Formats: sequence, structure tokens, C-alpha cells
Amino acid sequence: MSAQRDADSAMPGFYAAQGIRKSYGAIQVLKGISLDLKPGRMVTIMGENGAGKSTLFKILAGQVPPTGGTLRLAGAPVALASPSAAHARGIYLVPQEPALLPELSVAETMFVGALPTRGGPLGRRVDWAAMRARARAALDALELPIDVDRPARTLSIAQQQQVECAKALLRGCRIILFDEPTSPLTSHEVEHLFSIMRRLKADGCTLSFISHRMDEVLEISDEIAVLRDGVLVDVVARPSFDRARLLSRMVGRPLKAVPRRAASNARDEVALEVRGLSDGLRFADVGFSLRRGEVLGLAGLVGAGRTEIAETVFGVRPAAAGEVRLGGAVVTGLDCHAMIRRGLVYVPEDRARHGAVLPMTITENVTSGLLDRVRRRAGLLSARDEARISAAAVRDFRVRCAGLDQPLRELSGGNQQKVVFAKWMTTGPRVAILDEPTRGVDVGAKEDIYEMIDAMARDGMALLVISSESEELVRLCDRILSIYEGRVVAELSGADISPAAVARSYLTAAAPSGGVAA
Amino acid sequence: MSAAAARPAADPRPGWRDRRELVLVAVTAASAGAVGIVNPGFLTVENLRFVALNSVVLSIVALGQTLVIAMRGIDLSVAPLMGLSAMVCGLLAQTHGLPLWGAVGVALAIGLALGTLNGVLVAALNIPPIITTLGTYSLFGGLTFLYSDGTQVDQVPPAYAAFGNAGPLGLPVPTPVLVLLLVTAACWFALGHSRFGRAVLAVGNNAAAAYNAGLRVAVIRIQVYALSGLLACLGGLVFVCYTGSATVTTGTGDHVELQSIAVALVGGTLIAGGRANVLGTVLASLFLSTVLTALVFLQVPPIWYSAGEGLMILVAVRGGTRRAAGRA
Ligand SMILES: Nc1ncnc2c1ncn2[C@@H]1O[C@H](COP(=O)(O)OP(=O)(O)OP(=O)(O)O)[C@@H](O)[C@H]1O
Ligand SMILES: [Mg+2]
Repeated sequence: MSAQRDADSAMPGFYAAQGIRKSYGAIQVLKGISLDLKPGRMVTIMGENGAGKSTLFKILAGQVPPTGGTLRLAGAPVALASPSAAHARGIYLVPQEPALLPELSVAETMFVGALPTRGGPLGRRVDWAAMRARARAALDALELPIDVDRPARTLSIAQQQQVECAKALLRGCRIILFDEPTSPLTSHEVEHLFSIMRRLKADGCTLSFISHRMDEVLEISDEIAVLRDGVLVDVVARPSFDRARLLSRMVGRPLKAVPRRAASNARDEVALEVRGLSDGLRFADVGFSLRRGEVLGLAGLVGAGRTEIAETVFGVRPAAAGEVRLGGAVVTGLDCHAMIRRGLVYVPEDRARHGAVLPMTITENVTSGLLDRVRRRAGLLSARDEARISAAAVRDFRVRCAGLDQPLRELSGGNQQKVVFAKWMTTGPRVAILDEPTRGVDVGAKEDIYEMIDAMARDGMALLVISSESEELVRLCDRILSIYEGRVVAELSGADISPAAVARSYLTAAAPSGGVAA
Repeated sequence: MSAAAARPAADPRPGWRDRRELVLVAVTAASAGAVGIVNPGFLTVENLRFVALNSVVLSIVALGQTLVIAMRGIDLSVAPLMGLSAMVCGLLAQTHGLPLWGAVGVALAIGLALGTLNGVLVAALNIPPIITTLGTYSLFGGLTFLYSDGTQVDQVPPAYAAFGNAGPLGLPVPTPVLVLLLVTAACWFALGHSRFGRAVLAVGNNAAAAYNAGLRVAVIRIQVYALSGLLACLGGLVFVCYTGSATVTTGTGDHVELQSIAVALVGGTLIAGGRANVLGTVLASLFLSTVLTALVFLQVPPIWYSAGEGLMILVAVRGGTRRAAGRA
């Protein structure tokens, strides 16, 4: 057995972590992780928010130095002083938050650090033509229709993620680590990514992957490693995968599964009414009404225009036509500050760009939504009140942190998401628009967030939920509108709601007779 | 290209609406013309030559500043560095008869050494650039004071004066203008077409992402501050040759640090980093020189000059942030 492993471990592309430890100050994030990544195999890492998954990947990719332990590549120990050292050895990390270079073109962001050059009369110069051609070829190979001349700041999250994948291939890296690549993607895009991953695997690349979505993990993995509190608690190989066992190993407690909400809390009073709303660009003639206590879902593919609709209702995008009423009063054209004062909040999907202030502490982030209100009361928020509010938020949302004074930057991705969510909920809104509320949140905490949404609806809050996970909409919503290319194409309610019906409602919309306007 | 992607690509080829250069040329020509109507003396060949030559020193210093701002940094110490270089080169020439080539070497050595110091403080010790260069601002100013020991430069040898005012080999174009052309071409090529320059822009866009993409961010930072120091000192040398004088307030007295930041921003470089416009910096210096000279011709009290510069910075930064806010 061990002789076999020794022989294997000398193979090119065999990448092993041995006893990897990592501490930040007194906090031990990784407590001796030993894991083998093998050519032609996909090893998936699962675990709760803050378990240490991203930290492990950053160490494997040279972005963060380990406190202890060794990395071995093809049997020989390697020290990775920097990401470039990792790239030189063929190791590439597709990060959890794709890192944008907003002012550069897509092609250039793909080549940063390795721009192709050619000789010229003035010395070596960047070969723009070759760069664009190679960038285009790399995107074409993955069947990604992205214009390489666009400024990177115009890419959606899904596109940024896709560009990152193409970037890894461009650099000829054969050991590729994906940190939650699927969390911003729809099921269709996930399938696309998986077909790419399968191709890479067949080609002998060494792959590893982090995800919170059990179904896709079971589909793509050859091995699943479960991380809990910085310890590797389980490694199972196909075919002995067992969903229940994985879940309980991950969370350390049994989980109850609630497939669909029991009863509607909807009351008669209309909280938010939208009529004939268009932005003249991405969506047209959108109308719905949302009652107090009701949870309304917006289903659709990424890029269908759901985020744009939400942003227009919230007042951060101008409306070209139509009307928005909040509690009966017309609020069309008001800016978002006025909306927040009137009790409407929007929790955006892209926490890196909106919502999260990374250098500030958890408490400052949680209470930042309240400051406006405090100022208008001409009062001050006492430090004790602040601490009480943020302690409640950390408890309710199960934020894993070292303390309330920890800067948000130091939290894991999923925990940052929970803090942003908590911030908006502490303002006590009457209507909340939640855009992908559980993006990057682990299974255990997901259920907590669902329960909080149920509770808020019971208290009479009206909720509009945008999600790319059909199961999530089914679990949460009283009613679901299906959006296809900026139009409402179907409405589902009551017993009609099922994951299959949700997916079908927008996928069949491409056919001209498929739509039923709400 | 879909409707959503209608925004033109920013790099490497900007759309026409982003062409600050044309706007700057038009505004400069219009201001000069307007002043000429009031006071025809402004449009004489001598005066226009004076305006142009006057902008050269600022342009050279501001090109260094442009590199720094493109990287999302700031260099306040360019003003005292320019003064230090002018003082050291000028005094060595005046009292020890240092040959011109020696002065070039001295200026470049001072610039490289002290610029590198800035870079190391910023990159290795992780001190924010505005604090670092505020500190070295005082330090370099103090060095000038110590070195000059109460004296000042009021006359330079003929070779220096010729370098500062006449053209080489009997050419009609003064040497400083040629030096500026060379520096501008080098910066333009570097930022637009060299690996180094594109790395500078990548760091300015997002330093963490640039690091993760494999760039040696700390090294690039040090190099850029070194270049900024180098250009500031080259500017100081040109200044002492051209004017034949240097005092302890050369550079700092005219607030060259603010002027250089202002013209970089007016020229189209983003204060948040990541985008630079080399030609814009040079044209904006020419514009500032035109305006400052015009104020003299219009007999505006000098006390208003810095108010005008301040206004220019505000307008430029406002334009830059509006564009940044317009990002999708
Ligand atoms: N720079 C840092 N300083 C202090 N603590 C940190 C730092 N970076 C991460 N941590 C802590 O390390 C722990 C593990 O974080 P990590 O990002 O690896 O989690 P994760 O498993 O990827 O979670 P998620 O599923 O939410 O992405 C977290 O509790 C986090 O707060
Ligand atoms: Mg993570």
C-alpha cells in the first residue's frame, strides 16, 4: 500500500500536502492537513464557512505561506515563495473572489504577469495582436463568447469566473485549484464548467475544487475531502459517496431537511407594486405586486436581467418607463437613500463590489446601515448598543469570527456574505430584495438563513428573492416569476412550484408560445 | 458586440471621446488666443518660446508623477528632490567647475538613490505613500539646506547655460525640449507597450490581483519611485541650466509637487490608478504654463496663481471620479 503510494507520488502532477498548518496570531486555521492531489483526478474539498478551505488552497498556490508542514510536487519538496513561483511549477488557483483589473482589457487581464512580447526597433514590446489572438483562442476553446477588447470592469461575475478558467489554461498550468467557481453560476453554466473540467481531467490535469453544493460535488468528484475547523475529518473516494454521512461529517451535527415551506404568511396589504417597468435596455414591461409577509422569487438564467430589475426598483438604475409603489406611494425615480428611509433594502449579489467594507470591523459593517437613521435622530449609537447589535447578528447568522472587532477582510468568503446580509436586516426593512442571499454560504448556514427569511416573512416583511438555485426558490417562495431576456415569461404559485417546473419555466421560454405574462 | 457591451474598450486604444489630448490642445490654443487679443505681446515668438520652455521642467517631473499615480501611489517629494538636484549640480558647477556630463551623472545618481529610498519605504516597510513622501519631502528639503549652507546658485558655466537654452549642433530646438521629447517617448512606450509599464498599470488597478497573477509588486513599486526620483532630479538639472539659478526654495516654492499632480490628473491619469495618459501630462503642463504666464500678462496679482492651480486640480479630479463612478 505505502510502497504503491510512494511510486505514485513521484508521478508528474502528483501534488501532496503533508501536515500543513496555518495560524493567524493565536488562531489556528489549519491544524495539520495531509492531502494528495493526483493527475487525472478531481478532489473536492467541502466544509463549513470558515473551515479553512480557501486558506488551504492559498497555501497550495503560494499566496500565503504555511506556518508548518511540507508541500511535495512529484515526490520532491517544494517551497512556494509567491504566486509566480507556483505558476512556474504549473499550479494555478482560480480565486473565490475573481480579482478584477477594471481598467484593462479582458485580453490583458488574462495575460498579466506573462504578457507576450516581440522584438522591435525600440526593444521588446508587448505583442498586442498575438495577445488578443491567444486570448480569443483560449476563450473560444472553452466556448465562451466574451469580447477580449472589453474593459474588464464590464464583465459580470459569471464572466469573470470564466475568464479566470481560461487564464489558467493559457498559462499552461496543469494543477488547477478552483475555489468555489460555481457559486455565482447557474446550473447551465455549471454544466459548461464541468464539461471543461472533465476535458482537463481526461487530459491528465490535476484538479481540485471547493463547493457547497452537494449535488454538483457528487456529480464531478473522484474523491471528497471534508474539512472541519481546520482538520481533515474524512476523505472518501468514489463510489462510496454517501450524502448523509458527508453532511454530518461537515457540520458535526445531524441536519434536518425541509424541502418546501409549509404555509404562506402573505397578508392582503400590498407592500411593493411594480407596473410596466423598463430600463430601456435590459428588461421591459415588468410588473408584479408583493404583499406583506409574502416571499416572491425571481427565477432565470444569469444575465436574464433579474439583478437589473432589482437595481431599478431600488433606485440605483434609472427607469425608462413604469412605476414603482412602496406601501401605496409612488417612489419611481427616488434614489436608494430615499428608498432605504422608506423601508426598502437591496442586498446585492456581488458583496466584493457593493456592501462589504473589507478593512472595517464586523461591528462597523453591521451597524453602518443604521448610521443614517441615528443621525436623523440627532443621537449617537453607543458603543454598547453597537456591540449588542453586532453580537446578535453574529449569533443569528452564525458568523464564524475571532471577535466582533475582526476586520471583515479576515473572514472567510461565506462569512463576509453573512455579515452583509445581517447589516441590511438590522435596519428593520419592510420590503427586502435579496439577490442570491446564500451565494457561497455553507449547507448548515444556508438552512439558518432560510429559517430567518421564513421568520421575517412571518413578521410581515415582504421579500423578493433572486436565486439561481431552483431548490432555494422552491424552499423559500410563495410565488415565483420566471424571467427570460428581461421579460416575465411565467408565474408559478402554490403546488405548481417544484425544481423541475422552475427550470422548465424559463428554459422553454425561448419558444415563442412558451410565455404567459403575469 | 451586444448592446450591453457598447462601452468602448479603454485600453489600449481609447475612443475619441476619451481623447483628452485634443481637448487640451484646443483649450490651450484658445486661452493663448484670448490673452493675445487683450495683450498682443503674449503671442510673440519669444514669449511663446518662453511659455514652452517653462513647461519643460514641470513636464519632466510630472511624467515621473504620472508613473507613480498610474500605480496608485503619490510622490510629494518630487519638489524638494528637484530643488536638491538643482542646488547640488549648480553649486558643484559654480564653485568646483564640474563638467556638464558630471552634473548629469550626479543628478541621476541622487534621483535614483533617493527615489529608491521612497520606494523601499513604501514597498518593503508598507508605509502609505502619502506619509512616506511627506516625510521625505522634509528630509530632502533639509538636505538641500544643509548642502547649500546659506549659499545659492546665481551663475552657471557657459556649457550649462547653452544646454539649458540653445539647441545642440546648432539646431533651432532647445536641448531641454529634445530631452523632454525623449523622456515622453520613453514613458509613452513604457506605459503603452512594455511589460514593465503594463505591470505598473496592473498594480494600479488592483495590487492584490496583480500579485496573485504573478507580478513582483514590491519590486515594481520600488522601480517606479526610483524613476520618479530620477526624473525629478533630471528636471532639477534642466532647471538650473535653463535659469542659471537655484535657491533653497527651488521646487518647493512653486509647489512643484502639487503642480505635477495637477497636470497628471488634468492630462487624464486616474487618481485611483490603473490608467495613465503620458501625452496628456505634457500637454497639461503646457496648458498650466500658458495660464500662469497669461496671468502675468493680465497683471493678476501672484497671490491668485495657486488658487488657479487648486481649481485645476479640483476640476480634473472631479472629471476623473465621475468617470470612475460611471463604471458598470
Ligand atoms: N488574514 C487573516 N487573518 C485572520 N484570520 C483569517 C485570515 N484569513 C482567514 N482567516 C480565518 O481563517 C478561517 C478560515 O478561512 P477560509 O477563508 O479558509 O474559510 P473557508 O473554508 O474558505 O470558508 P468559506 O466557505 O466561507 O469560503 C476563518 O475563520 C477566517 O476568519
Ligand atoms: Mg473560502
